Formats: sequence, C-alpha cells, structure tokens
Amino acid sequence: MSAGLAVHIEGLSKRYGKGESAVDALKEVNMSVAAGEVVGLIGPSGSGKTTLLKCLGAVIEPTRGRMTLGGDLIYEDGWKISDLRELRRDRIGFIFQAPYLIPFLDVTDNVALLPMLAGRPNAEARSRALELLKALDVAHRAKAQPSELSGGEQQRVSIARALANKPPVILADEPTAPLDSERALAVMLILNQMAKQYQTAIIIVTHDEKIIPTFKRLYHIRDGRTVEEAGEGRALQ
Amino acid sequence: MKIPLTLPRQVWFATFGVALLLALGWVATRSGPLAPIKVTITRAAKGEVGPALFGIGTVEAQRAYLIGPTAAGRVRRVLVDVGDTVKVGQLLAEMDPVDLDRRVASAGAAAERGRSAVKTAEAQARDAKSRQEFATAEARRYMDLGRKGFISQSVVDGKLQEQKSADALLAAAEAGLAGAQRDLARLGADLGGAQQQRDNIRLYAPVDGTVTSRDAEPGSTVIAGQSVLKLEDPNSLWVTSRLDQGRSAGLRVGLPAEITLRSNPRKPLAGKVVRVEPISDSVTEERIAEVAFDRLPQGASTGEMAEVTLHLPAISDALLVPNASLRFRGAQAGVWLHVDGHLRFAPVKTGAEGFDGKVQIVEGLKAGDEVVVYSERDLKDDSRIKVVSSLAGKTK
Amino acid sequence: MISLAGRDILQSWSKFVLTGLGLGLLIGVTFTMAGVYRGMVDDAMVLLNNSGADLWVVQKDTLGPYAEPSSIHDDVYRGILGMSGVAQAANVTYLTMQVRKGSTDIRAMVVGFEPGQPGEPGHLVAGRRITRSHYEAVADVNTGFAVGERIRIRRHDYTVVGLTRRMVSSGGDPMVFIALKDAQEAQFLKDNDAIVNERTRTATNPALNRPGVPGLLDAIEESQTNNHSVNAVLVRVAEGRSQEAVAQEIRRWKHLQAFTREQMENILIAKLIATAARQIGMFLVILTIVSAAIVAFIIYTMTLGKIREIAVLKLIGTRNRTIAGMILQEALGLGLIGFAVGKIAATIWGPYFPRYVLLLPGDAVRGFAIVMVVCTIASTLAIRAALKVDPATAIGG
Repeated sequence: MSAGLAVHIEGLSKRYGKGESAVDALKEVNMSVAAGEVVGLIGPSGSGKTTLLKCLGAVIEPTRGRMTLGGDLIYEDGWKISDLRELRRDRIGFIFQAPYLIPFLDVTDNVALLPMLAGRPNAEARSRALELLKALDVAHRAKAQPSELSGGEQQRVSIARALANKPPVILADEPTAPLDSERALAVMLILNQMAKQYQTAIIIVTHDEKIIPTFKRLYHIRDGRTVEEAGEGRALQ
Repeated sequence: MKIPLTLPRQVWFATFGVALLLALGWVATRSGPLAPIKVTITRAAKGEVGPALFGIGTVEAQRAYLIGPTAAGRVRRVLVDVGDTVKVGQLLAEMDPVDLDRRVASAGAAAERGRSAVKTAEAQARDAKSRQEFATAEARRYMDLGRKGFISQSVVDGKLQEQKSADALLAAAEAGLAGAQRDLARLGADLGGAQQQRDNIRLYAPVDGTVTSRDAEPGSTVIAGQSVLKLEDPNSLWVTSRLDQGRSAGLRVGLPAEITLRSNPRKPLAGKVVRVEPISDSVTEERIAEVAFDRLPQGASTGEMAEVTLHLPAISDALLVPNASLRFRGAQAGVWLHVDGHLRFAPVKTGAEGFDGKVQIVEGLKAGDEVVVYSERDLKDDSRIKVVSSLAGKTK
Repeated sequence: MISLAGRDILQSWSKFVLTGLGLGLLIGVTFTMAGVYRGMVDDAMVLLNNSGADLWVVQKDTLGPYAEPSSIHDDVYRGILGMSGVAQAANVTYLTMQVRKGSTDIRAMVVGFEPGQPGEPGHLVAGRRITRSHYEAVADVNTGFAVGERIRIRRHDYTVVGLTRRMVSSGGDPMVFIALKDAQEAQFLKDNDAIVNERTRTATNPALNRPGVPGLLDAIEESQTNNHSVNAVLVRVAEGRSQEAVAQEIRRWKHLQAFTREQMENILIAKLIATAARQIGMFLVILTIVSAAIVAFIIYTMTLGKIREIAVLKLIGTRNRTIAGMILQEALGLGLIGFAVGKIAATIWGPYFPRYVLLLPGDAVRGFAIVMVVCTIASTLAIRAALKVDPATAIGG
C-alpha cells in the first residue's frame, strides 16, 4: 500500500551488463518513506546506494521493480512517466555532496530557477525563493553571487533550491561529508525542520558517523539488498 | 532581464553595448555611400579678370645666314670660330683655289694672245685697206684708160678683178678683225669668269653678326650649297612662340608679352608681339607668333626654350567665378547653384578666363549667386550635400 | 524565465567582450577584403564615369587603352568628329610612370587631356583647373601633392594647380592630368641620351645623311623626335543616338576599334580585375572558415568549463533545448559583438589602405547574416558536447 507514502519502492533491481559479466547492483530493494520523514540510506561504498539514488532520481532506468512517488506510479518494469526531466524538475529535489550552485546566477535566481523552468512567472518564482532563503536564514545574501558565500551558506542555498518546486521527495547525496560535526548537525537540524515544514520526504545517502545517530529510521544496503532498521533518533537542537 | 543599477557589472556591459550601437550608427550614416557629399561654396562676384595667352617657343634669330662656296671644293682656311663677332665684308673663310690661279693665269695669257691677234688683224685690215684703195684707184685709172681706148678691155677687166679681190680681201681682213675683237671679248669674259670663280673661294660676311656654327674645317671637301659657317645677327633674336589655336583668341601684333627663358626662369623679360605668322601649323593645331625682346638678354642662345605669356587687355566689372566650379553636362558648361540647401544645375556662357583661374560668366548667373566650387564626388540634382569650409589640399 | 546565456555572459563579460573584439578584428579584415574588391570595381567604374565618354576609340585589335597599350594618330579624331551621332571627340593619352617631387617619386597615371573635352576631370577638391596650355597639372589627392608644388614629369617641371579625388587608374595608381601635348611628349619623347644616340646613328647612315641634300638630316631628326600619337579618342555620343550604332560606324574604319561603356566595363572587370577577384574570394572563404573555427573553439571551451553545471542543470530538470539555446545564444552574442566591432574597425581603418576600400550597406547586411549563420554552425560542436553530458554524473561516487 503506497497511499500516503511519499516514496514506495518494491522489488527494485538493477543489472549492469549482460551475460557472464553482468553485475546486479540492486537486488529486490524495498523502501518506503512517508511525507515529512527523514530517513538515512547507509552502506559501504560499492553497496549500490548511489545506484539506488540514481534510480530514485530517475536518471538511470532500473531493470525490474516498482516505484511510486508522491502517490503516482512512476516505474513498473518500465517507466510510466514519459518526461523524466519534468519529473525530476517538479517532483524530486536534489542535494549534492557539494552545493553545485550555478555560478553565473545570483543566490535568488539559483533558487528561483527551478520554478521558472516549471513555467512560473519570474516574480512569483523569486518571491518563493526569498521565502525559502528566509527560512534557511540566508535571505541576507539574496543578491550575492555564489562565489561570495561561505561553504555553509552555499549549502543552505542548495537546500533552498531543492525545496523550490515543493517536491514530495528530496534526495541528498552525502550532504554532510565535507562538514565538521557542529555544522553537520546544523544541516541535519535544518533538513528535519524543512521536512516537517514542507512535508517533504528526505532520503539521505550517507556514511557520515556524525549524523547517523540522528535518524529515526535507517535503511542498510549491502550488496544491493536493503534492510530496514530503526535508528537511534538522537535529538537535534 | 532586469538590470539593477547597483551592479557595476551590468552597467559596464550596458555601456559597452550602447557605445557599440552608437558607433555602428555613426559609421553607417557618416561614411560610405549613405553619407552626404561634402562641398564648398562661394558667391559669384564682380571683379577684374586679366585674360592672357600662353605659349611655349624657342629663341631664334630673325635672319640666319649660311656661308658656303658656290662650287665644290676643299676648304683651305677658316678664319673665324663660333662666337666671333664679324663685320660686313669681313673675310671669314677661304676655299682651296686648286687650279683656279693657273686658270686665271691661263685665261689672262689667252686674253693677251687675243689682244695680239686683234693687233695682227688690225694690221692685216690696214694692209688690205691700202691694197684695196690702191686697187680701186688702179681700176679707176685703167677704166678711164680703157674708155679712152688706150688699153684692151681684158687689161681693164684684169684690174677690175684685182679691185674686186682687193675688196674681198679687205672684207675678209675686217671680218677677221671683228672676229679677233670678239675673241678678245670672249677671252676677256673667260678671264673675268675665272677671276670671279677665284674670288668666290673667298667667303665674306654679308652682314654684321655672330658666327653660330663652324661646319667645315680646313681640308674638308664641301659641295656647292653646303655651309662652312653659319652666321646670324644677334640683335635680331626673337621668340618663335606656339599658341594653341583653340586658346589664341585676341592674338595680335603689339600685345605686351612676358618671356621666361628656361635658363633663367625667375626673371621674366618684357617683350611684345611683332608678327603673327599668316600660316599656322595645322598638324599641331598651333598658331605661331614672333615675340621680340624689349631689351635683348645677355647670353641668350638660339634654340633655347622659352615660355611666353601675352597679356590681353583686362576686363573690369566682370562677373567672376572660380573655374573649378565649372561643370560640364555633355558640351554644355554650367555651375551647380546652391539655393535653399538644394542644388540646381545652371547652364552658363563663359567669357574670358584669367590665369589665376577666375572665369567670367557672361550669361546664366547674377552677382551674389552661391555656386558649388569643390565637391567630393560628382553631383546630381538630388545629391545630399554638406557645406564645409575646405575639402583637401594645403596651398604652399 | 531568465536568460541563462545573458547571465553567463554578464558573469564573464570581460572575457566575452575581449573575445568579441578579437573576433571582430578578424571579421573587420574580412569586411575590408570584400571592400577592397568592391573598391577595385568602383575604381574601374569611376575611371569610366569620370572620363565623361560614351565610346573609347582605340587601336584595332587591342583592348585598350586601359587593358592593353593602344596607339593611334592624333589626327584621327577629326574624322570621328565629322561622323553623324558624334557630339564630342577628343584625344587622350594614358601612361603609368614615375612622377618626381623633390627627391621622392611616386607611381601615377599621367593623363593627357584637352580642356573642356572628355578626359578632363569633372570636379575638383582644391585649386583650379588648368589655364595655361603647358606645364600645369591637376593631381589626385592620393598622390600626396599639394596645390602649388612643383613636380617633374620626364623632362619638364609642372606646377600642381588643382587637386581631385577618386581619380585613379584601374590599377589603383592616382592620376595626374596635364595638357595633351605635354603628355604626348612625355610618353613618346625619349630621354636625352637616347635622343643623342639616335641622332648619331642617323648621322652615320649614308642613306640619310647625304651631303648633296643639305636639309635632309635635319628633317629626318625632326621627324624622329616628333610625336603624333595618342592612346585613344574619347567620344561623347549625341543625345538620343545609340552608342553601339556609332561604335559600329567607327569600327568600319579599318584601323580602329571602338568600345561602348558596357564593353569597357566588361573588359575592366572581367579581364583586369578577374584574377584579383578570385584571390580575394579565396581569402574571404578562408577568413570565414577561420572565424567559424574561432567561434567554435571559444564557445566549446566556454561550454566545457561549465560541464559540471550543465550536468547539474540537466539533473535538476532543465530541458536539453534550454541548454542548447543558452549555448546558441552565447555564440550569436559573440557573433553580434564581432560583427559590430568588425564593421566599425573596417570603417575606421578603411581610408588608410593604399587601395580604395568601399563598404556597401548591403554588404554589411549580408555580412551580418553570414556571421549569424557561421556562429550557429560553430555552436553545434559545443551543443553536441553539452547534450552528451549524462546528468547522472552530478551524483558522484
């Protein structure tokens, strides 16, 4: 049952290559995330977590399985959505290892870009961006160029960008890897706050020991298989 | 795209863009075929024009003399050289007499002999005369005697016959005398001829003058008519000037002239036209005028090039425009009138033109009309123009 | 939607503008080359127009007087003047030679003309027309002479009394106008050494130097140094008469050839300019290819520098055509700057070229279109690279 779930994956498999040299990166993965929930996806490198993220992000095509996103079926042994780009734009937010802001757009436009691409008028897109920037406490840098921001500020702007089109799910790939524990926990706090505020599901791929204890629920992935676990759920300030 | 004014980057870029656009616009309208044609203007004004004629010529002597023998011969001596001044009658050169002296002597001897022949003939005539008189008297006496019957008729006849023969002898002797006298005359003429021929080997100066050329040296053979020396009168130098037929209106004797010799171009000399040749050169289409110097220059040589300017009487109160403003539509001369910023081609009739480039307009313009003088390009009725003060060129 | 291309250009505007400047200079060179060709054609047209002639009568079987040497007698014009349909006929001579001023000399085409007749320059930019029948000259400003200067042509000194503009030969040499007789002498009379040599040869020829005929040698020497030839007769046809008809009439004279204005245009452009035109055409092609390569390289480099951003953009949902549009717009923007700079540069440095450079507005429009097309094609390299980027690469590890 996937109603009410932001993300629901059943039996997702991904095989690279054919015949003898085929590699099964994902084997019958199951995963469910509710709206507003922050879950962690942890595992050693080569375990397939990046592959899973790419499948969730609709950048690679799985081999088999079923995926729903925000209640809509997007994959069942084949894409059910014709325009994946639109899907990514409107329904999935991305946060990368590095902020990856567009250097020739100012902070506001970096965030407003996605709504603009979705067809929103510029003024509306910008006001939405400003709202998010305020929420992330970087509104005072709204007119600055990305190169003028500190690493932490850039990270927060990239989070705002991910939220700009109000997607049901945000995929975060090692967002705290380059940060120290204070900042890492600060980011986790923000993510939790945003998840609750905007009822967005956030799946965080990480192997950062500093933040793993904060998750209430975790998925362990090893050799392409996932195991659901309860997390420590340590409180954040 | 909003361009917030506070960002300097946008301002810089915008400034650059605007500057580029302005430059492009300037380029399009100011230069190239779209730009207006620059012209200069002047007003037609009354003034004086001094028309003049111009020609080039060579300095020549009015009269030049070829001194040479009348018969072929060898030059014996030449007494003068180029540049010498000679007087009339002066001996200049002498031909080799060859056998002329002997011929004169032989003619003289022949004449002498003729004189003797005449004397002989005279004596013979006298002798024949006396015989004839005697024979005549004798014949008369015998006829008388015959009539009286003292002698026979045959004796009378014989004496008559003697008388006749004496007459004949007298006639013959007189004829012989006449012949000898004519012979003497002939020989005398021969002698005269030989003497004159010998005299002709002496070449004398026919006038006062300067020797300009020495054409044969002693020992060279010349034929009749060939020159040994050339002479000319240095006071008879003038400039034989050639003027274009098309630009020689007003040429007449007496016009004052300015002569500029090639050898001394900075000091023009005064002169005047003394003759206009009745025969012009139809091949070069030039008229020929002889211009004499008022004062003969020192050291002028014949054959030297000269430029001659003849001044015609000035015309005052003429409407003048610069000749650079004349344009031609086909054969029709005209000017571009500048009226209210527009151009109009006005056909004109021109009159005299001065050397300074001012040309008189006889018909077609009035004083104060603005005419186009210089233009960058050929003008048409609808050309867009821009009046400037000068186009190009600095005067030195 | 904002303009991604605009923002990118604004971000690195100095680099963009400098590249545009460099490209612009290259485009300016291209415009100038095309302008040189147009200038050569215009030189030929101006040469024909300024002569004021409708027909050119030259030596039979030649393409003179500009393309080939032509020599006819100077009294031929009288016969032509008498033909029906002929309004004016005048002798002209043309000779390209060195004209000395002081210690320098320049190459010029010396034109001998008759005042008031076809062949005289139509308009002046300084000074006055020739008023004396000898030793005055009107020169083109390209000679560098000023009014009042003394110049030397062969044996005589001339005073420059007037200046003209755009009077050049088809080879680009500026013209100097002098009286016809002076020009005939300049063209046909040899230098002193040659004359003395000629005289000596004639004097040693016993057939010509007969002692029994005293004036013979002088008469022969006189005829040797006389010059009664001209290069062409310029004819103006009467109103309403057909040029070709009059030309046909003249051609019937067995020793003459006559060309109408159209035929002269053809001779000058098709024959004289043809080789230069081909050369310039090749240059234009090469320059266009070079410009295209430069634009392609620059845009490609700029795109490669943004590969990561392009991957991110693609991942977060930017359409391929938006990204391709950004690259194309940048290429076109570069082309726009290059075109503007090129056109301005060509206009500014055009007058300093030794040959006349003519830039027509139509050429500018055509040039603009070509620049835009070339930039579009050049951008395809970068667009292909951008489209090949896999958005998955943004998700590292």
